[in-house]
Amino acid sequence: MIITNNLTKKYGEQIALDHLNLNVKEGEIYCLLGANGAGKTTTINLLLGFITPTSGSAFINQLDVQENPKATKRFLAYIPENLMLYPNLTAVENLDYFSGIAGKTLSRSDLKIVLEEAGLQSEAFENRISTFSKGMRQKVGIAIALAKEAKVLLLDEPTSGLDPKASNEFGVVLQKLREKGVATLMATHDLFRAKEVATQIGIMKDGQLKQQFAGHDITLPELEKAYLSTMDYKELVS
Amino acid sequence: MISKTFVKETKELLREGRVRIAVVIVLLLTGVAVWISARHYQNVNEQYEVAKTTERAVWDNQGEKNPHSAAHYGTYAFKPKYPLSLVDQGVDKFAGTSIFLEAHNRNEAQFSAAADQTALARFGDLTPDFILLFIIPLLIILLGYNSFTKEREMGTLTLLKSQGISNWKWLLGKWMALFLPVLVITTVLFLVAGLLLGNLSDFGVFSWSSLLMMYLVYLGYYIIFINIVLLISSKMKKSGISLVVSLCIWIIACLAAPKAASNIAENKHPYPTRQEFAANVLKDKKQGLDGHNPWSKETKLLEEEVLREYGVDSLHQLPFNFDGYRMQKSEEHEAEVYVKHYNYLKDQYAQQAKVYRGLAAISPYLPTRFLSMAIANTDYATHWDFADAAEEYRVATQKFLNDNFAVNSEYGNWSYQADADFWKGLPVFEYDPPELKTTLESNASNLMVMGGWLLGSFGLLLFTTKNF
Repeated sequence: MIITNNLTKKYGEQIALDHLNLNVKEGEIYCLLGANGAGKTTTINLLLGFITPTSGSAFINQLDVQENPKATKRFLAYIPENLMLYPNLTAVENLDYFSGIAGKTLSRSDLKIVLEEAGLQSEAFENRISTFSKGMRQKVGIAIALAKEAKVLLLDEPTSGLDPKASNEFGVVLQKLREKGVATLMATHDLFRAKEVATQIGIMKDGQLKQQFAGHDITLPELEKAYLSTMDYKELVS
Repeated sequence: MISKTFVKETKELLREGRVRIAVVIVLLLTGVAVWISARHYQNVNEQYEVAKTTERAVWDNQGEKNPHSAAHYGTYAFKPKYPLSLVDQGVDKFAGTSIFLEAHNRNEAQFSAAADQTALARFGDLTPDFILLFIIPLLIILLGYNSFTKEREMGTLTLLKSQGISNWKWLLGKWMALFLPVLVITTVLFLVAGLLLGNLSDFGVFSWSSLLMMYLVYLGYYIIFINIVLLISSKMKKSGISLVVSLCIWIIACLAAPKAASNIAENKHPYPTRQEFAANVLKDKKQGLDGHNPWSKETKLLEEEVLREYGVDSLHQLPFNFDGYRMQKSEEHEAEVYVKHYNYLKDQYAQQAKVYRGLAAISPYLPTRFLSMAIANTDYATHWDFADAAEEYRVATQKFLNDNFAVNSEYGNWSYQADADFWKGLPVFEYDPPELKTTLESNASNLMVMGGWLLGSFGLLLFTTKNF
């Protein structure tokens, strides 16, 4: 569902992404770990078609992102670190608008069902987004992905700044999406959440994918150790 | 996507306090302006009716009198206030409302409303055209300056792009949402004006088609502004910068350009001063027949010509009073002199208008203003037309009087007096302003400039938002 072939992005002499090869299949959650500047967000922006690769290619649902920018967007949903919605509109209205933009027209009751599925409390459906916490906004973001029936979900540090409860709820929703066959690529710093939800985990540094693990093959302490080693934080490894 | 964006933008606008306040203020100002203008229109028309009736009664009841004395006594041509002046007062305030019609002289319109006002009049009046030309474009800026920049600033643009938004549909939705409040305000203003005018005395001149045309001209003006404001908003990164740039455009288009155009036009094609004009007219008058000078060379030549034509030896033998005949010939010469000099003024005006039209490329305000005034019959061209009609009437009046003098008296008999009923035979002065079709034909270039602005601004907006 998500494939990158030697995907590379350079800004002048600086390499932001270096020959990245990924393959995230249907029903998989791939967590990209790495420090700031490791190339996680660059990967997501390339998959979204927001930036053009220097070399290599990216595919969404077997369509080349560069060649089919509009078509690939039909299959994907994106939730950035700080999901910003229209503060003067309610959750239902925001969902209605964003799903409408994606070509999905849902009835008001269907919109509410989707919001409920995304984990938003029903009391908040008709409240303006300006009153929402970050966690609630992220749930609306998930609802947008659900309403769109996206096959691919791109998440850029979605749990950053969420309290443990909200982060946990977010993880539960991701699992539900995985069960529906959605392929998810999540860039994150959150090792714990990555271990919780990921089917595959990759550690990036300096634009390169340094290590990859199957989610069930590694424990959290092992993951932490691998991460710190990759980051050259050797003094912390012990 | 278009309707979704339209509904979303409209909801956002309605829920923003600043927008509600701005719309209410504009509607209030509009209401007050229309009310003031309607009152003014009604007052002026009542004065017009009274002045016209009184002056005619004075003329009709002047009793037995020598026709040439009556010609010098004179009468007035009053300019009515046209219905759409309720919307656009144009140059009416400065152009004068009545012309004194007398023998030998073509007078200019006098008693302008501006002359009756104090220096405070420099602050201007609260009129519907002020709201339409200046305030509504400001409202458009206030409503639309952040239409695109807010998406960048709030961060919603990223999400929209990831949803695969179609730029032109998104743009059209936003465009419609910005157009709707402007459409509502403009429609309310014109509907109220139309209903008011339908119930006021309007000399039978008011037509809904003229009002509709004016309405369309203003909508065109606003569409141009909407396009410009959205274009700026789409290219700027910050709302503050977008607001400042939009306001700068407004200042240039609505305030600076008209004044600059006026200065340039006046410098390139100046009118003669009043003194120069009067001196030139007098000079030309002196080169022809003077009805009051029986000893001049021109009079002697005329005498010889007439005596030869009628085959008589003396002016006393003519079948008419040569004094009256001479007066009429003198009037005809003077009328020609006035035609020549007023045509020069008209040429200068036409040249100035060309400069304005040329500069209309830098401001949509200029063609809108000219079209609005022309449709309202409050532009300078209509004033010229009225002055020409009054002059035509003056010349016809002098012929009416001189003919009576010539036919009914003998040469040298200056004590002749026309009957008391004679004056009623002079037709009443009536002036019909140009019809809408004629007005639009003579303003075809302004319509084309507006069309150019509309197409250009739409094209530029679509082109620049293609790769948003």
